[in-house]
Amino acid sequence: MKQQDSIQAELRQQKQRVELFSEVTLKIRQSLQLKEILHTTVTEVQRILHADRVLIYQVLPDGTGKTISESVLPNYPVLMDWEFPAEVFPADYQQLYAQGRVRAIADVHDPASGLAECLVEFVDQFGIQAKLIVPIVQTLNMPSSEGGGKGAIAKNQLWGLLIAHQCRSARQWVEFELELMQQLADQISIALSQAQLLEHLEEMVEARTAELQEANRHLQQEITVRMQAETALRQSEEQLRLITNALPVLISYVDDQQQYRFNNQAYQDWLGQAPAHIFGQHLKQVWGKQCYQRMQGYVEAALSGQVVSYENEIELQDGSGRAVDVTYIPHRDGDKAVRGFFSLTSDISDRKAIERMKDEFISIISHELRTPLTSLHSALKILATGRLGNLSVEGQQMLAIADESTERLVRLVNNVLDLQRIESGKVVMEQQPCNAANLMVQAAEAMQAMAQHQGIILVTQTEEMTVWADADYILQTLTNLLSNAIKFSHSGSQVWLTVGVADRDTLPEAEMRDRPCQFDGAAVFRVQDEGQGIPNNQLERIFERFQQVDSSDSRKKGGTGLGLAICRKIIEQHGGKIWAESTPGSGSTFAFTLPAMIPAHLTERREECPSSVS
Amino acid sequence: MSIKRVLIIDDEETIQTVVQFGIKMAVGWDVLTAGSGVQGIAVAQTEQPDVILLDVMMPDMDGISTFKALQAQTATENIPVIFLTAKAQTAEKRQFSSLGVSGVITKPFNSLQLPEQISRILHWDGER
Repeated sequence: MKQQDSIQAELRQQKQRVELFSEVTLKIRQSLQLKEILHTTVTEVQRILHADRVLIYQVLPDGTGKTISESVLPNYPVLMDWEFPAEVFPADYQQLYAQGRVRAIADVHDPASGLAECLVEFVDQFGIQAKLIVPIVQTLNMPSSEGGGKGAIAKNQLWGLLIAHQCRSARQWVEFELELMQQLADQISIALSQAQLLEHLEEMVEARTAELQEANRHLQQEITVRMQAETALRQSEEQLRLITNALPVLISYVDDQQQYRFNNQAYQDWLGQAPAHIFGQHLKQVWGKQCYQRMQGYVEAALSGQVVSYENEIELQDGSGRAVDVTYIPHRDGDKAVRGFFSLTSDISDRKAIERMKDEFISIISHELRTPLTSLHSALKILATGRLGNLSVEGQQMLAIADESTERLVRLVNNVLDLQRIESGKVVMEQQPCNAANLMVQAAEAMQAMAQHQGIILVTQTEEMTVWADADYILQTLTNLLSNAIKFSHSGSQVWLTVGVADRDTLPEAEMRDRPCQFDGAAVFRVQDEGQGIPNNQLERIFERFQQVDSSDSRKKGGTGLGLAICRKIIEQHGGKIWAESTPGSGSTFAFTLPAMIPAHLTERREECPSSVS
Repeated sequence: MSIKRVLIIDDEETIQTVVQFGIKMAVGWDVLTAGSGVQGIAVAQTEQPDVILLDVMMPDMDGISTFKALQAQTATENIPVIFLTAKAQTAEKRQFSSLGVSGVITKPFNSLQLPEQISRILHWDGER
């Protein structure tokens, strides 16, 4: 019966142990935190074994070690965080433990326990009587350096020791206790591997997180940069829109299909057509057929790459007409192909009205001046006959002055009106083929009397060539230049009138549109004198109104100060250039060019002309 | 050359005077004067002058209207008319000649030379 009882007790104990194992194992496994696992282990072992102290000693790589977890009864010294010197735990001991040695020492003072003298002394200071030591072995999965990291070598390394102490007495350790300690050491071993895996996993997660964060930061940065660029673009667009909308001119961009791609607010204000409505529409749709016909040529020129500027008449939404100045600026892409053009249209109605008023004013004034001038002129001429009574010599002198001044006033009025008419475009040069020699001979004949009167020899050297000119106006120009030359020459000197072949580029291109193609050359007319000459800095200025080299001298000669200004206007309207050359003290040359048909025998005799003169 | 009778129609009295003086002094022709188109037409009808010098720019009835009125009446339609005008442009001259005006004398002129200019325009030289 007693034996039966003891068997039953044995069974009960075994059952309890199994339950204890699983309970402790469960507790240990509840945590992934190594520190907590170690703490649970020592606490549980101490409780179950009724040991005085249970500790976990970690072996450090340099052979020393320290207590990293401990459960101890209150009346014994605490070993936690104690660092043990290397000599208390020699390398050969470590080696044995790494292979799985378990040591159960019932009494440290018993020589049979085989504990070294120094170690006995060492444990004595803590009052340790018996101890049970189980190794904690860590299986390291070392990634193999060969084989591309696929394989791994498992290596057992002593990580630490699970130690139970008995201090109050010596103790005979039983099998169950050894087994429990070993099992728990194994659990710690597993926990270590898991912790290593976990740590590795955490490292990976950390690295991956860092990568993600970095990528995120980059992305965020890029988003910021893009948002900044977008904001800048929007701001710049907004500014552009504000500026273009604030300007009282039509601003647009037209593509190569003649369709609007941008319009400012002025389109709404002027035409009643909103930019959004106009977008994509053809020029013809927006402006109507008639207006488009006036634009078409310039639009095509702009799309062929030319900068164009012209005047047009447009109708506003209220039906009123406006004179506008239009400029097209071609837009070229990288390949130099024309993609479209920018268009600027400004209202010049006011300017036009003022110009008209000015022209009318000048016209009326010069008309109104003529009537009193006629009376004055005639009255003085009648007085000068002496038939209304004889004047004294001084009286006759005064009359002569009045008569001369009246004649000059007549010329002045004529010149002002002439200039105004040419400038306002009221006069159109009626250009036709003219024989150059004929024009020269006629001009020379007209001035012959004046030349003779002044004792000047007039020399004319003609060439047979045909110029594209309005004969009346060219005669006016030639006689004006000859009259100037004669006026400013000394008696007995010569004045030459010559003609030659000039370079084509002395004729500004834009003026040549209506010229027949055979007039592809340029003739240069020259009037040269041996007079006092003109200072170099005045060669340009003398073509401006009322700019005479020496006004007092010039007035004596009866000039109006408008002659050269008229000559320049006439020549410019012909598409030619006029300029002066001079060597002060030895004479001046006035020259102008006209479109001409140059006979073959003359083409090689091209003269040097300044190309920069206007 | 016989003594001619000239009618000058101009709203400016000084012009009437210098024309009258100048022509009389130069060649001794008779000069009739009128200060407006309406007055001029009346004088022309009654006096039947050899030539009418007609100012283009006049208030109320201008030279062109006066000329058309003269042309419209049988009593005056055959009297040659010469326009007195400010320096005429080619285009204006063309317009005047298309109206049937005999000629144009531009202001300012010297009244002493008027008989010579009139004679040249109307080819009176041959009568000498």
